This record gives sequence, structure tokens and C-alpha cells, in this order.
Amino acid sequence: MSKVLEIKDLKAKIGNKDILKGLNLDLEEGKVHAIMGPNGAGKSTLSKAIVGHYDVEVTDGEIIYKGKNIVDEEPEERALDGIFLSFQNPVEIPGVNNAYFLRTAVNARRKHLGKPELNAAEFLRAMKADVAELGMKPELINRSLNEGFSGGEKKRNEILQMMMLEPDVVILDEIDSGLDIDALRAVSEGINKMKDGKRSFLVITHYSRILDYIEPDYIHVLKDGQIVHTGGSELVEQLEKEGYSSFEEK
Amino acid sequence: MKLDILNTLDSNGILKELGASSSKSVAASALAKLKVPNKKTEKYRYFDIEPLVSKDWKLCEVKEQNVEASGKKIVIEDGALLNSGDIDGVSVEVAEFSDIDAEHFDGLYFLSHLMAPKAIVIRCSKDSSFEIEHNYTSSECLINYRVVILVDANIHCQISDSFKGEAKKSFILSGYDIFVSRDASLKFIKTHTLNSANYTPIFTSRYKVDSSANLKISSFDFSFDNGLNLFRVELKENANLDASHLLYATDSAKYGIVSEIVHEGKSSTSSQIAKSILDKKARGIFDALIRVQNSAKWTKAHQNSKSVLLNSGAYMASKPQLEIYIDDLEASHGSTTGQLDNKQLFYLQSRGIAKDDARKMLILAFAHEIIATVDDEYLANKIYADFETAYYGKYELDCMKTCDSCEESILGIE
Ligand SMILES: Nc1ncnc2c1ncn2[C@@H]1O[C@H](COP(=O)(O)OP(=O)(O)OP(=O)(O)O)[C@@H](O)[C@H]1O
Ligand SMILES: [Mg+2]
Repeated sequence: MSKVLEIKDLKAKIGNKDILKGLNLDLEEGKVHAIMGPNGAGKSTLSKAIVGHYDVEVTDGEIIYKGKNIVDEEPEERALDGIFLSFQNPVEIPGVNNAYFLRTAVNARRKHLGKPELNAAEFLRAMKADVAELGMKPELINRSLNEGFSGGEKKRNEILQMMMLEPDVVILDEIDSGLDIDALRAVSEGINKMKDGKRSFLVITHYSRILDYIEPDYIHVLKDGQIVHTGGSELVEQLEKEGYSSFEEK
Repeated sequence: MKLDILNTLDSNGILKELGASSSKSVAASALAKLKVPNKKTEKYRYFDIEPLVSKDWKLCEVKEQNVEASGKKIVIEDGALLNSGDIDGVSVEVAEFSDIDAEHFDGLYFLSHLMAPKAIVIRCSKDSSFEIEHNYTSSECLINYRVVILVDANIHCQISDSFKGEAKKSFILSGYDIFVSRDASLKFIKTHTLNSANYTPIFTSRYKVDSSANLKISSFDFSFDNGLNLFRVELKENANLDASHLLYATDSAKYGIVSEIVHEGKSSTSSQIAKSILDKKARGIFDALIRVQNSAKWTKAHQNSKSVLLNSGAYMASKPQLEIYIDDLEASHGSTTGQLDNKQLFYLQSRGIAKDDARKMLILAFAHEIIATVDDEYLANKIYADFETAYYGKYELDCMKTCDSCEESILGIE
């Protein structure tokens, strides 16, 4: 199995607080990995470290993506190379038109891949199709980016971006929290449609519900800044019953 | 002529020195009291007025010339009327004018009236939309002139006011006296986006908004050099003012607004929003007072200033002030100054947008709220383009903003 992302002994701080304490994790090509773990364990911090968020200072270890350590790369370089994070709390940007933003992003990525850029009409056709598929309100694409979007609308907008950007590694940080049943189904279907045997997923969640839809290949338990256990989907049931306390830190 | 020598004279002396008619004695006594400003003058505290008033200026001769009357544009060159336009229901004449605002706070408002023997008087007696263009060609001189706009009762007007020209090192002392009559409305879009100029404009104006009349001011100042807009607005019963200001200043420009909005009549409303984007060593100024007199019950007054500093050398002097003499009203004011939002910047970068492009997007987004107050799409697009030109020093073709067919297809999504 080829590994698309290898995280080796990663240590990271936010401010002067150690959050990731020697974390090891490999993502396999074409597989769905889920991460579960208690509040404050460092799940969002891990996702931020992978995309190069300015809050997170990596003090030790490596993040190898497609064979290259990306720890010192700019966030936009990582994105252009195919890493995508759906944020736990997407930020609102008043005054930036949602469609305009997304077209800029899509074309930056296409240019990076040596593909021709999409003109406005081509882009809109593609976006309309994805918007319909996600059951997103069409007017949202002409509003300011995430401004005044409900929690669920923001999450769908993240998935829309994922669908349009066609990344190679998709990290979903609590994509399921705050979604109603229909939204959860639409979002999960959007994710499932993106599975193509090559693209890898890292799904951070607290709930088994979404895992029923998107069927993870691996479950990792993240506790106090480390992956303390890795198993198959049977782990979900155990976690639901026993909670995290049965998984001791290494 | 040095302006500050007037400070040694009484009102008669001022009239005589400036050769002004006695019909302007009100202006002369106001100036004798307020004085030609210097660096200690409260309303000029953030601006370098001293060099302008102490310099020995050559006065720019207002040329007598044949006035054209064609097109939808009124053209004023170096203070002289060049083209009065051919606009249905809009008359333009050069005439004596003495209905000045005796309560104005600015000495230069009175001085400018005293120095201008006549004003360009524009009267709107039918609904209309037209342009006024100010063109400056004379270098190293003091260009002084006054413009008056009268909007008749029940009439609705839109005026787009713009500036161009290559005058170097000149001092433009000018301004408007604008009267919006009962039940009339005026949309006044002022675009001073001439960033290549290196003259200093001081526009000192008054707006009188009569009962149940509406005034909407959208001002755009993009500048590399010093300039100041001073204005006083009087609001009568049920009158409404909507003022939005966008400032982009860079290099070592000191630029901004000094204003007083006075609620005189009851149930009058005002809203004033200023957004400033400051780069390099620029200083932005928003020194804005709203006064609610005790005659102005049930007033609503809102004022807000937001600034973004793009450089550690930039500075914003933001002073929104409320002066209230009654209880029965709704009022708010606020001011924020900061850098671009890191979270927003990161979000855009995390989608593959390069940092510089992300910054540009956020700056345009910040400006957007003010540009969007211009509901004339052609004009709004032009202001966007001007803004980009000022910000980048060049045009950047941006399909989503300038190409109509793209815009339509974006909006065409149902
Ligand atoms: N900007 C920050 N400043 C200070 N501490 C932070 C910051 N961001 C995160 N932390 C701390 O880092 C720790 C890990 O946070 P993180 O967001 O990674 O947890 P999480 O596992 O995603 O939790 P949750 O399940 O609640 O989302 C927490 O103790 C949190 O308080
Ligand atoms: Mg989290």
C-alpha cells in the first residue's frame, strides 16, 4: 500500500503549550481514515499542522506528503499540491463573493496542475452541478463567503470547495457536527462520490453516524497529542460503549 | 498672497484686503473670529495646514471664456466654468452668492467664499443624473472657487463629481454649498481618485437638507498626497443623511475628513460610515462630530469608522464624536483600526490562493461595502478599477468585476 501522507513523531505547540506530543500516523492512498478522540486532544491541531496554520508551531518531526517533507511550506503551496482541510469553524469573509473566491481558487489549482483555467461560464456550469448535488441553496454562491451562513450551510460550502478543488488528501474536521439528517446524507454522498481509489480521507469526528455513511477503513484514537490506538471500523462500537478511558496513552 | 496675514485684520480689513463685496460681511466677521487655521487650530490638528497658509501663493487667474453648453457633463477648469452641459432641467450660471452658512466651523470655508467674487450655481429643477468634472491644469498656484447646487423641492438628482488634471504643487481651495429642498433627494458621488496628482485639495463645504429631504453622499478618495474634506451638514425635520466614505492613502499622504452633522429638526436621521485603507506612511483622518440639538427629538444618528493599516508606518486618526442635547433619540458610534484579519487571510491561502492575491481580495472586500453604496453599476465598476489602479499603480483585468457578460452569468444562477 502506498502512503500518501506520513506523519512522523510530530511535536507541535500552540503558544507555549505542547499539544502534539510525538504523533505518528500514515494515510494510505485511496483509503478513509477516521480520527476520534476526546475534546482538546489535539485533533484540530493536527489538521492545522498538516495545512500549515500559523497558530501551530511544529517543533519536531516530519510531515511527508508525496515523498516530501512539507513542514516548511507555505499553506498555499500545500493546497496547490492537493491538501484540503474542511475547517471545524470556517471563517466568514464579508465582501468576498463566494463564487468569485472559489473560481480564483479552482483556477489557481488548475494552473498549478498545468490544466487550462476555467472561464466564468465553464466554472459556473460545474459549480451549479455540484451545488445542486449538495442540495445547497443556489443563492449562497452569490453571497459573501460564509457571511451569515448557518452552521450547516458553512459545512456544505466546505464540501462544495472540496468537490471543485479535487484535492488528493481531504481532511474533514468535524464536518458532521451541526448537520441535520438530510445535510449529513448530502454531505456524506458528496464525500463518497469523491472516493476514486486514489484520493485519501482523514475524517475527524465524535460521532459514529457519519462513519455509517462513509465507511472508514481505519479508525485512529487520538488522546493527549498522540495516536494511542489504530483499528478497523469495529472500534467505533467499542468507543461508543466504553468511551475513551479504556484507551491508555502510550 | 499669504493667507495667514489676514489674521492680523478685523472684518472690515479682511473685506478690503480681499476686495470682497459688503454682502459678504457675515463671512468676513466669521473669518475674523475663527481665523485662518494654523497648526493649533482644533479642526486641523491632524493635518499640515501651516505650509499652505504661510506660503506666498500666486493666485490662479480665473479666465473669462466662452462657455460651451453640450453633453451631460458640467466641466470646470481651474475654477472657471468651461462647459455648462446641456442637461434637461439643469441650469448653470456664474453668479454672486451670499447665502453662506454662518455657523460653519471652518475659517477656510469663509475665506474661500470671500476670495471668490462669484460662484458657479447649478440648479436642478427636473429629475436628472449628470456629471461634474473638475479639471486642474495650472501649476504652483492657488486655485480658489465655489460651486453651489440647488435641488428644487420634490426633485430627485444624482450627481457624479470627479477630478482630473496634472496641476503640480497647486493648492486647491474650494467646496460646495448644497441645498436639498423639501421632499427632494440628492445622490452625490464624489470620486477624488486622481492618484498621480501632486496638488493639495482642501474642499470645505456645507450641505443643507430641508424637511423630508434625502442626501446620500458617497465619497472616494484615493491619494498619494495631502488633502482634506471639511463639511457641515444641517438636517431639518425628517431629513435623512447617508454618508459613506472610502479612503485609500499611501506614501506620506495626510488625508481625510473633518465633518459636523447637525440634527436640527425632529425625526431626522443620519448614518455616516468611513472606511480607510492606509499604506506606507500615510495618515488617515476621520474627525467627525454628530450634534443633536435639543430641537431634534426622535433623532437617529449612527456613525462608524473602520480602518485597515497595511504597514506599520501607517496611522489612523479616528475621532467619531457625539454631542447630544436631548434624551429621546437612538444613537451609536464606534471606531476600529487594525491589520488584515489573519484568519481570513489563512482561509484563502489554504485554498491555494497566493498570499498577495489573498491580501488584495481582502482589501477589495473591505472597500466593497462602500463601493456597493453606489447603485449605478457603471460608476461602481469604474470606482473598483480606480481603486485597483491606485492600489497597484496599474489596471488588472478582473473579469468578475469588469466584464458584464460574466457578471450576468454569475447573477443568472437561480
Ligand atoms: N489558539 C489557541 N490558543 C491556545 N490554546 C489553543 C489554541 N488552539 C487550541 N488550543 C488548545 O489546544 C488543545 C487542543 O485543541 P484542539 O482544537 O486541537 O482539540 P480537538 O481535539 O480538536 O478538540 P475538539 O474535539 O473539542 O474539537 C486544547 O487544549 C486547546 O485549548
Ligand atoms: Mg477540534
